[in-house]
Amino acid sequence: MIWLLLVLAQSSPDPDLVARGEVVFAQSCATGYCHGSAGTAGRGPRLRGTGLSRDRILEATRDGIPRSAMPGWEGKLSGTDLSAVVEYVWSLAMDTREPPADESMPPGTGPAVFVGFDGPEHVSRGRDLFFDATREVRCGTCHEAGGRGIPVGPDLLALGDGLQASLVGKTRSRRSSHVLRARLADGQDFAALRVAQEEDRVQLYDLTTIPPVLRTFLSDEIQSLAEDGSWEHRTVSAEYGDDELRAIVDYLAWLNARKSE
Amino acid sequence: MPGFVFLLSALILAGPAAGRVRAQDGPTGADWPHYGGSYQFWRYSSLDQVNRKTVKKLVPVWAFQTGIVDGGLQATPIVLDGVMYLTSSWNRVFAIDAATGDEIWHYYYENPRQIGIIYSPWNRGVAVSGPRVFMGTLDNYVVALDRKTGRELWKVNVEDLRQCGCNITGAPLVVKDKVIVGVTGGDSAHRGYLTAFDAATGRLVWRFYTIPGPGEKGHETWEGDSWKYGGGATWMTGSYDPHLDLLYWGVGNPAADFYGGDRRGSNLYTDSVIALDPDTGELKWYHQQIPHDVWDWDSAYECVLLDLRVNGRDRKLLLNTNKGGYTYVVDRTTGEFISAWPVVDNLNWIEGVGPNGELIGRNEPVLDKAKLICPSIGGGRQWNQGAYSPRTGWYYTTGIEWCQEVTAREEEPQEGMNFFGGVFKLKEAPGVDHHGHLDAYDPLTGKKHWSYRSPYPFLASQLATAGDLVFSGDAEGLFFALDALTGRKLWGFQTGSGHRGSAITYSVAGRQYIATPSGWGSAVAGLMPQLWPETEDFRAGSTLFVFALP
Repeated sequence: MIWLLLVLAQSSPDPDLVARGEVVFAQSCATGYCHGSAGTAGRGPRLRGTGLSRDRILEATRDGIPRSAMPGWEGKLSGTDLSAVVEYVWSLAMDTREPPADESMPPGTGPAVFVGFDGPEHVSRGRDLFFDATREVRCGTCHEAGGRGIPVGPDLLALGDGLQASLVGKTRSRRSSHVLRARLADGQDFAALRVAQEEDRVQLYDLTTIPPVLRTFLSDEIQSLAEDGSWEHRTVSAEYGDDELRAIVDYLAWLNARKSE
Repeated sequence: MPGFVFLLSALILAGPAAGRVRAQDGPTGADWPHYGGSYQFWRYSSLDQVNRKTVKKLVPVWAFQTGIVDGGLQATPIVLDGVMYLTSSWNRVFAIDAATGDEIWHYYYENPRQIGIIYSPWNRGVAVSGPRVFMGTLDNYVVALDRKTGRELWKVNVEDLRQCGCNITGAPLVVKDKVIVGVTGGDSAHRGYLTAFDAATGRLVWRFYTIPGPGEKGHETWEGDSWKYGGGATWMTGSYDPHLDLLYWGVGNPAADFYGGDRRGSNLYTDSVIALDPDTGELKWYHQQIPHDVWDWDSAYECVLLDLRVNGRDRKLLLNTNKGGYTYVVDRTTGEFISAWPVVDNLNWIEGVGPNGELIGRNEPVLDKAKLICPSIGGGRQWNQGAYSPRTGWYYTTGIEWCQEVTAREEEPQEGMNFFGGVFKLKEAPGVDHHGHLDAYDPLTGKKHWSYRSPYPFLASQLATAGDLVFSGDAEGLFFALDALTGRKLWGFQTGSGHRGSAITYSVAGRQYIATPSGWGSAVAGLMPQLWPETEDFRAGSTLFVFALP
């Protein structure tokens, strides 16, 4: 939160931060259909000359604007870059002049202002594996961790301290205590996770294919829902080697530790 | 430069000669069953109760307000058996009595509070098949609803929005027992694909990556790891030929959009039309329009399936207009190039297209220096779809005369984040008033038969009918009918907000209805104030207007 204090401590835009922010803005905010070069409006609102306060700009930039295309940038930009871009937008907000025609881009400002994952190096491999988009089936397809992934299966962080010891084995095991067998009145039969059961309807994850399908049935469409150990987690973890699973465990352990900080 | 473009076009077009049209499956009748009208995507109806003589008497009979104006109303309604299925922004679905406008049911999908990507919050329509209605969502799920009640039957995640920076705004297409959906993300660090789910259960059947992975043919057209983040979105809706049993889909631009230094190669299958086996997702052929695109010229728009006589021979053809402002015609059995012609006058990114479809005289953006490129990123034509009338044999579509200054930049891809590789600023074409036009073309040669002009881009689709009418709407809210033969305006109705969706026609109990979404908004509408400052104040809306003869 040091960057936040820095911003709040100032009363007018800091020229160094503004310069940095201009670069960040050009790559993250001016692009595509958003705010346009130098904040002259693309699809997103015009930012130049709006008179918006720095607090408002900070809030919208950091947290995003609900029910809009404006994302929160906290975690997507480094703290320094976030404060720099807020400073730059603040400078735009107070500037009522039109930018000169050739000001669309500061020349030669170089690549890469995005920061990736901001955790330590030794767990980034595990995170990359967890969310590896080059695998048809990856952990994140069915598990949420660190603000990403689809929470179909159990919360792996809730497994707590025993995680490290048990996870590699668990993903190879045959039985799962969560998975049921659903038999439908029309004869369909599939491995399922129960999500919700109300008087007249039942919601299940159908695990036949990955990604799982959240299916909603009227109660009379379901013939039975019973425990059945025939579903094997290893069918979906086969793509990961033991060494890779251990790296994933390191990542989860780091998330756990961060959570309890 | 434009003169040279026309010269080259003329050279190509001297080749094939247009011929008469045989009976085909393209027209719709009482229903409007698919997103493009028919699987052939003609956006043409055989209904002719409303025609050049009677259109003057057309009056509004009902209107339907979705209650969500954010992002405009960009949908194409589906009509089956007297029931209309309409979507709005934020994934609202309505089943409506198509004769009275009364709501039968609604389904409001629960989206996260924050979508956080640029491909939102609009939705362009549903697919309806058998007992189900299908929709893709802003948070990247596909949902199936009970057609009678709107009850949710299944829901499946296509890929985590928070990871891929992609989602679904286009309408799905149902082919046999599968629902096929595209994905956005072409301007993000993302690898595009097309996915087929079982219509009854939602189970994944196949996924075709528009960028081949290691070991697959075409992978060599990507440099290093660039294939992982190379775009290739499939954000519009495809077509299907039941006789050839081929699924056609347009594939979008490679990412980074404006900078290609890290992805040297032709970057297959971006900016291509692909033909797939709909049962397996296997690639049957492809035709790449723009190898190694560095302008953000998607080829993602609709594929119009036409059977025409070319040089004395009946050919099964596919027509696809790209964002760079060129229409390509290929043989839809093989992908063989037939012809290409521009839909805009101001186009400087190439000097022309050669006799085999090759690009001549590429004019590419440069690093860290602004360069004038025409048309603009908004496209020589926007995604709003054209219409084909077998009665005139003409293809009706739009063009936008505008340019932009593009500055390419080196960018590190970060998974799921914007990956434009540069910035742009809209500019006028030198010496030309920026404007839009709606035109009638010979689909094979691009010969223009008439042109209807607006001071603003046309961002609504065209609808052609057997009444020899072409319906469309403009940015200022006017919904109008043109004489399909002359382009003369025969009728108009001010709907109160600009047009960004797709009009359709259908009939219930022998009465023909014309329905049009009205509601200004969208990414490109949001860019327009850079050239048309007054459009910043254009009123939003989201209302479907329906007209009929008294």
